[in-house]
Amino acid sequence: MVEYRNQFALIWRHLNKVRWLILSLVFSLLVLLPFVHVYQTYLAAHAYDLLAPGERQLYDVMEALTAPFVDDPAEDLDALKGSTWSGRLFGLKLSDPLAAASQLAAGLTFYSPFLLTALIPLLATLVLGRFYCGWLCPATLLYELNTNLGILLNWFGLRTGMRRFDRRLKYAVLALGLVACTVSGSVLVATVYPPAILGREFYYAAAHGGLGVGALFFLATLLFDLLVSRRAFCRYLCPGGALYSILGRYRVLRIQRDVSACNDCTKCSAICEFDLNPLRDGFGQECNNCTACIAVCPTNALSFRWRVTDIPNQGSGHLSPRYRREQQSQGPTRGEA
Amino acid sequence: MQRCKLLKCASAVAANNTPFIDREEKARTLCGKCMTIVLTDARVAQVTKLIIVVAMLGWCAPTPAHHVLGRPAYSLNEDSNTPPSMQVEVQIGEYLISYMVFPAFPRPNVPGRINLYAYHLDTDEPLTGKVTFKVREDGWFADSEEEVIGTQLPDDNVYRQGFVFKEDGNYIITAAFEADNTPYLVDFPLPVGNTTPIGLLGVVIAILGAVLLGVSIAQRKRLARAKVRTARQADTLDARSSNDMGEL
Repeated sequence: MVEYRNQFALIWRHLNKVRWLILSLVFSLLVLLPFVHVYQTYLAAHAYDLLAPGERQLYDVMEALTAPFVDDPAEDLDALKGSTWSGRLFGLKLSDPLAAASQLAAGLTFYSPFLLTALIPLLATLVLGRFYCGWLCPATLLYELNTNLGILLNWFGLRTGMRRFDRRLKYAVLALGLVACTVSGSVLVATVYPPAILGREFYYAAAHGGLGVGALFFLATLLFDLLVSRRAFCRYLCPGGALYSILGRYRVLRIQRDVSACNDCTKCSAICEFDLNPLRDGFGQECNNCTACIAVCPTNALSFRWRVTDIPNQGSGHLSPRYRREQQSQGPTRGEA
Repeated sequence: MQRCKLLKCASAVAANNTPFIDREEKARTLCGKCMTIVLTDARVAQVTKLIIVVAMLGWCAPTPAHHVLGRPAYSLNEDSNTPPSMQVEVQIGEYLISYMVFPAFPRPNVPGRINLYAYHLDTDEPLTGKVTFKVREDGWFADSEEEVIGTQLPDDNVYRQGFVFKEDGNYIITAAFEADNTPYLVDFPLPVGNTTPIGLLGVVIAILGAVLLGVSIAQRKRLARAKVRTARQADTLDARSSNDMGEL
């Protein structure tokens, strides 16, 4: 086990940086895509001479950004379309499982062409758990930055919220959302689902030059996180997070603690944005495999394993003073026995 | 003896030399004299064709394109039948409303036109009553006072409302009508002239986000330490238990 740990420790320790890079990339793409779309309409209209100065600037910037990657921008840029809620990636149509579930609930019909677009994300969730929340969700980047903003505010003496609620609240939100979809016949869940809101708002900003009420809702979630509890919306209210947690309950790839290398420093539990307890093997279905705990572990005691369930609480880390005390106190007893 | 059939050559050639110029392979000319002439002519012809093509391309280039390579161009004035700058469909109450703006790029002091179509969802009958078009500025701090542009009756099931704006800006067009004793109000966006797609608020948010991202990257270790310290100070770690994982 030690050899296995050491072999991949270097990779796992840097996965959190890779994750930030991917989150930044996804977010940048989400911001960029509506502007790319506007650029494509200008191209299709052969309208450069008709554009206003601001529109020409947009055209020039988009042309400069996309020229290295495409030969025929009007056609080739169609490869990326939509948002993380539902979109097209190089011909592959992908949808958020929540989009599929809410569409199913709203329409009460099994429309397989759309539902199949959620198949790959669904399978990925079954294997990797709630990874979408940690690795792809565009709102996660902003929420994590918001957490950092909270820490910066703490440096300046301003206290931020650390309250705790029942995590099962979000399952109720999911259930209510799906019922609301069924009753209204409309995909209402998307109005309170941050990644869907962001995707919509960026399109509004690019196409209409303004933001919708969803932007205010998202701002409220940021304030909620800042003032009430760290990552509170994701932990307690997000319907997508709830669905991913359920789907990822028996995920195959999960983080586990090597108790023989653990020194009980508590850094893993303290760093966890979702308030989980890696220190006592408490990952559960909420863990999004973000690897923040792995990155912060000083003894490389945390690593990925192929298992469908968590290991039950293994007790104190073997490198901790507490464990040594326990051993010393048990030693004579065992000897006597 | 036969004569070369080329007009410029017309030399007598030996019988075993076929004075036939293959148009596909001009080099097959066998009289020798003729071959030189043919090749020269071919080059001249090619160069001439090239000049004509280039001249035609040069002449064509500045032509406004409406349908180039099968792609429809956008409307260039308010009477164009080509696609509008914006087409919005919205379902409100019992009606499905379609809204279009012409020309594709509305400018200040340039006439434009709104086309509005309203059909009953169940019966598919077009709306027959009057529609009043109003306008107001769009924006968080914009003047919310509305101005009536006009009231229109349908013409071939289309409500056409002309407009001329004096200034650049983002505007909201409100279409108001009454059907089955129910008042309907529908808002549509209308950007005119040089409007920025991002705006001051967007720039401020982007700068704040970039600064925060920069600090998060540059100070990531300090932030992580602070996060750990904060959690320890808040004494929440002991409150967690491995059983409290929110399992269903």
